[in-house]
Amino acid sequence: MTGPEQPLLVGEGLQRVYRMGDSEVRALRGVDFSISLGESVAIMGPSGSGKSTLLHLLGLLDRPTAGRYLFAGVDTALLDDDHSAALRNRAIGFVFQNFNLVSGETALDNVAAPLVYAGVKRKERNERAREALDRVGLSDRLHHDPSQLSGGQRQRVAIARALVTRPPLLLADEPTGNLDSTSSADIFSLLAQLHSEGLTLVTITHDPRIAARAERVLQVEDGQIVSDTSSESYLRAGVPA
Amino acid sequence: MSYMEALRLAMRRLRTNALRTGLTALGVIIGVAALVSLIGVGQGTQAALTNRIASLGTNLLSVNAGASFSGGIRGAAGSATTLTEDDAAALTTLPGIAAVAPEMPVSNVVVVAGRNNTTTSMTGTGPAEALVRSYTVQTGTFLSDVEVSKSLRVAVLGPTTVANLNMTPAQIVGTTVDINGIPFQVIGVTQPKGGSGFSNPDDMIFTPITTVQAQFTGGTTLRTIGVSVKDANAIAYASSAVTTTLRSRHGLASSASDDFTLVSQNQLLTVASDQSATLRNFLIGIAAIALVVGGIGIANTMLVSVRERVREIGTRKAIGARRRDIGRQFLVEAVIVSLGGAVIGVIVGVLVTGPVGAAVNVPAKASLPGIALAFCSSLVVGIVAGFLPARQAAGLDPVEALRYE
Repeated sequence: MTGPEQPLLVGEGLQRVYRMGDSEVRALRGVDFSISLGESVAIMGPSGSGKSTLLHLLGLLDRPTAGRYLFAGVDTALLDDDHSAALRNRAIGFVFQNFNLVSGETALDNVAAPLVYAGVKRKERNERAREALDRVGLSDRLHHDPSQLSGGQRQRVAIARALVTRPPLLLADEPTGNLDSTSSADIFSLLAQLHSEGLTLVTITHDPRIAARAERVLQVEDGQIVSDTSSESYLRAGVPA
Repeated sequence: MSYMEALRLAMRRLRTNALRTGLTALGVIIGVAALVSLIGVGQGTQAALTNRIASLGTNLLSVNAGASFSGGIRGAAGSATTLTEDDAAALTTLPGIAAVAPEMPVSNVVVVAGRNNTTTSMTGTGPAEALVRSYTVQTGTFLSDVEVSKSLRVAVLGPTTVANLNMTPAQIVGTTVDINGIPFQVIGVTQPKGGSGFSNPDDMIFTPITTVQAQFTGGTTLRTIGVSVKDANAIAYASSAVTTTLRSRHGLASSASDDFTLVSQNQLLTVASDQSATLRNFLIGIAAIALVVGGIGIANTMLVSVRERVREIGTRKAIGARRRDIGRQFLVEAVIVSLGGAVIGVIVGVLVTGPVGAAVNVPAKASLPGIALAFCSSLVVGIVAGFLPARQAAGLDPVEALRYE
């Protein structure tokens, strides 16, 4: 794996072009960045700016049309679909705005799901899922269906699922977008705590409070990174809240 | 993801949609039940037919008198008077022949016993008839050589005939009945052979051939000669020996065609089993259509299910599911529905086979090969039905799947 001085994620001239019939949509127009292990980065920008596309590329859910993306020093263009899936499984945790839990399955089963794809035995799977739920403070909700949980609890289940394979990187797409302010604050502190324990955190957000807690803020507009600053200077600049 | 995990996942998923799962499986249940019971009925029909034919005699060769020609008009088979008792006697001396029974039937005789009467058919024959046509006597005795040589007016009755006269075998043996107005002493009653309808082997009267010729038909001609061959493997050899003997006795030139026809029981068996196999395959075809329709139901439900679970599929891909993991999940679901349907369908099929057979008068029983066939075909149906939905699910683009509303 990477040492502290070696960056975990490197983008070089990343472009992503969608074809919609005859027209082309240039969602990313050449993006460069470098994110180190253990960093906390917020990606901000108006809707349609390309930040979700960027997150999909970072999470190996999508491939760039042009440019290079290195994950832990490996050129991801060399990875086939199965390797990408394995990397998503072991090295990346995803947290979504709408939680994306599977209803009809208990919180425990939801959290254990990534371990199924990792080939972990059932007993160990349940143990680790229990641990992860314990870590997010839900050890009393193991056998609840997601529909029986509040929004904040659901997002915590989703975070537990993202953590259960102990990945170095957590990608969060508007993790508090569907939550009230109390639950949001809850999720902020949970993410902040995980980061303080060494997790690399990349969060898409509209929320300046999340940005304030990040170490770095990437401002994306019109498919390009227009600023890459520390969160203090970003907030001092008074960018729209 | 191992198949075991896919199985576990599919079971959870199918349980949460229990009603839909049940309705989807219903198609397979009906198809498999139909397959099992119709195969059972088909095999029952075949077995019944074979038994009926086997009960007609043991290694039987039946020589029938040829048709008569009069002015270029072909008469009914047996209307010619080419077979005689001497022919029958000559066949007795051939090697490998167990017994030869001369036969002269008289149809539509009226039997009167006391105040009761019935109409049946009568065959003039000899003691060999019992062996040749597989009759045994339950009460009294069968015809003997003495009764034949003395043209005695004695009769052996079939059990159905006795019942039609409102008597029991024990009551009727030893009494005198009138056959077409001529008194005969009843000396025995045969065991029931089973069977019904036209030419029921249990609704019969046997009397000495000589008595029939003297009292009813006149002359010494025979309608048929029943020949029982000692060894089943020697039937073909015996057939040619019988043919050669009769041709030379009848003085037929080598260019002339036979003036008799020879029918072996094996020919009848072959024809019968061919026919019943055709019937069985027809029934299986119908049941297979039901099963295919059940499979289409599964495919349809699975396709809907893929649509409903696009987000779930996207999420699973994000957390590390490979294409084949997703495909396997949906394939296993389809196979479980069809195999579960098959299990219930086999149970239903086994339970209804008897009643269905009874409804069409066949002793039907579900057979193991039928059950195995139904099971295997439902497995194939499940795999085929699950293939398209599974491929569709596996091929979803994760980014689009996650965005799907």
